[in-house]
Amino acid sequence: MPIPKDVMIEAMDVNKEYRRAGAIIRALVDINLTIKSGDFVVIQGPTGCGKSTLLNVLSGLDIPDSGKIIFDGENIARAPEDRLSKIRRQKIGFVFQEFNLIESLTAQENVEALLWPTVLSNKEVENRAIAALRDVNMLERKDHFPVEMSGGEKQRIGLARAIIHRPRVLLADEPTGNLDPEAEKDVMDLLKDINKTQDTTVLVVTHREKLASYATMVVKMDRGQVISAK
Amino acid sequence: MALRLWKKSVKMILREKRTFTIFCGMYTVLIFSTSASLEMSLNPVTASIGSGFFMISLLLSLFSSILYSWLIVARKRRTWATLKCIGYTNANISSIVLGQIIFTTLMGFFINVELLFHWAAAITYYKMAVPDVNINTTLVGLSPVIVTSIVFLIVQILGFLLLRGKITKVRPMIALKRIGE
Repeated sequence: MPIPKDVMIEAMDVNKEYRRAGAIIRALVDINLTIKSGDFVVIQGPTGCGKSTLLNVLSGLDIPDSGKIIFDGENIARAPEDRLSKIRRQKIGFVFQEFNLIESLTAQENVEALLWPTVLSNKEVENRAIAALRDVNMLERKDHFPVEMSGGEKQRIGLARAIIHRPRVLLADEPTGNLDPEAEKDVMDLLKDINKTQDTTVLVVTHREKLASYATMVVKMDRGQVISAK
Repeated sequence: MALRLWKKSVKMILREKRTFTIFCGMYTVLIFSTSASLEMSLNPVTASIGSGFFMISLLLSLFSSILYSWLIVARKRRTWATLKCIGYTNANISSIVLGQIIFTTLMGFFINVELLFHWAAAITYYKMAVPDVNINTTLVGLSPVIVTSIVFLIVQILGFLLLRGKITKVRPMIALKRIGE
């Protein structure tokens, strides 16, 4: 069956199990989910319900035991690692809960790092990094190291790194988990802004109920199953 | 592309001052002692003791290169996982690690050459000031230092190859976990 053109990610009958201490944990159970291009999706549920596993599987970081993941028209569930790396570098931006900036690099270098293994010229890489830093209002901190920044500032740099290559999809796993309420609002507003102005599909995994207000689609999960998606 | 990764890897290792200084110092001492023992082993009078020292120095070099590779690879699993998340391949990450290892070894070589030149200059000057003194102008010849450094580079690459599997095994999902999880 052909996939409609505006569908960005589609999960079809996706299952994933883990073995932990001899027990089998069903992390994802018959997941069927369609995310359209330009959606702002918030995935919510209690701890251990499988929301992070779903994010991992949708982004090709983890392989489902069965089912298909159609990402921008391509089944990535069985794609080789090099192909997945290329898809991540070209089409996906990641925002991490722990920011994951490299301590020995400045803010600008952290943002540029994504484009180092590409054929772009140094000047082009620098221009893009500056544009991305300007988008997140962090241009004046471009020469600072992560250790000199607050959590909110680090997350803004993380966001700049995630959008430097103009990804089709932005994935954020608890992006505000380590932030105070003010910084949380800043980061979520930025994500919303990127979603609107760059037409980037955004997927946010969070356990915070109030962040659902940013979403065009809220996916609620429990015990590895999607219990609602609307 | 690979050249840019190598340049950045050099910048990264230079900013990790403590690790870089310790290992650069170790390589400088090891390259010097190995070169000196190599020169001794070529002299018929000191050949037996020289070749013994040469083997010990080589073993120490292999040990330190494995330790250095392990420190770079294993202690930065989260960094490598993050880079994999944002699209780096195993080959890209290997380029960064190898760049850091090779640069540190080359720095050890250049420091040795610099020290030997300074020694030669200082002794030449001293001999001109005090003509009767009998000190060797050349502490260790340049050829043993160059040969030793090439051997060291090969050993470093071997140490890296032994641990390269660790880079491949780093799963990108580690980047999404909370620190300590």
